[in-house]
Amino acid sequence: MKVSAVRQALLLIALALVPAIGEAIYFRDKVSWQSPDRSSEMVNLDQAKSWGTNAIWVDARPDNEFEQDHVPGAIPLNEDRWNELLPTLLAQWSLEKKIIVYCSSQSCNASREVARRLRDEAGLKDVFVLRGGWEEWLKNRR
Amino acid sequence: MNTNFSRLIGVFALAALVQSAHAELKWEQTSVDLRPGFNDKQAVAHFKYENVGNTPVHFKSVHASCGCTTAQTQNEQVGPGQKGEITATFNIGGRTGTQVKTVTVQTDDPERSTIVLTLKAVITPLLEFQPALVYWQNGEEPKPKIITAKANKDAAIKKLDVASSTPDFTAKVDAGSAPNEFRISVQPRDTTKAVYATLTIKPDSPANTGNTFAVAARVMPPAPTSGTAITPSTKATVSTVRHDLATPAPTAGSPRQ
Repeated sequence: MKVSAVRQALLLIALALVPAIGEAIYFRDKVSWQSPDRSSEMVNLDQAKSWGTNAIWVDARPDNEFEQDHVPGAIPLNEDRWNELLPTLLAQWSLEKKIIVYCSSQSCNASREVARRLRDEAGLKDVFVLRGGWEEWLKNRR
Repeated sequence: MNTNFSRLIGVFALAALVQSAHAELKWEQTSVDLRPGFNDKQAVAHFKYENVGNTPVHFKSVHASCGCTTAQTQNEQVGPGQKGEITATFNIGGRTGTQVKTVTVQTDDPERSTIVLTLKAVITPLLEFQPALVYWQNGEEPKPKIITAKANKDAAIKKLDVASSTPDFTAKVDAGSAPNEFRISVQPRDTTKAVYATLTIKPDSPANTGNTFAVAARVMPPAPTSGTAITPSTKATVSTVRHDLATPAPTAGSPRQ
């Protein structure tokens, strides 16, 4: 009886796996567990800090959050006021400087989007997204 | 046997009672596609619902996925047969391309307590520039560099007026290689001193309601000196670097042209 139940359970699991595997292959680019981050575009806080004055910090959060607090010396650049804010960054940028973009946390998307636009639209190189965002900065500041 | 049968009947009766007294929000659509015009500041989606159950539904929370979107319910409580809508307002700001924003709605409907409403907006701006920055290395030959401006085809833009914030750069506009495309040729007067200018672009279009755009042009400051004393062994390296800066690669300074 017990053996039969186990056998039935295994059979059901095996049957369920067939469409699951098919779906995972077919929708591999759309599966929610797959991170959209390209690891080469991400930077850890320790590494970002080690760049010192060779880096420009860009705050992609909304204006009110930037005004409350931000990484010292960070330049605000959010998509709400992209056209107004971008010139300030472009005036400070230089070829040898790396750009570190952050937003509120690991789950927010604003920093990735700002970083993408800096690469694609302004043609800037060495643009990175801070892993963990502002939350990570706060944790390490304490 | 009779007792068992009575119990079974009791269970069915209870289940039927529970089934009959239920709340159910029926949504007309949970996903809305929008194509805001190039002068629009906001994109607004209306998610309509109706309580097709026979008990009231209460909204516990309505939460947008980003600060750029706000969502509002008409009522906290939706009575049986009552209709209403949740309005999601997406502030476009400087965003372009396809934007997908979600609104998560929590209700006390035990069948479906969480509903995710999706607002998809395809934003085609009046003008798009590629690249948004042109620059010259210090000492580089002051040849013109091109910024391509792609105009929204619905805007019927006939010409662009470009003004530099400083007299250090000149800008000339020509028709591009494709319809609705312009070539902005930017040239520095001198590349021996570091300068920065904002080029303000005003499209001449009857549909434009006063929008202006900005791109940037820069002559970079001289490369930072390392502070290393020049010795016979390092001298050759330094002169090589100087030569490289004086004769940059053809594409240097104007990425993605």
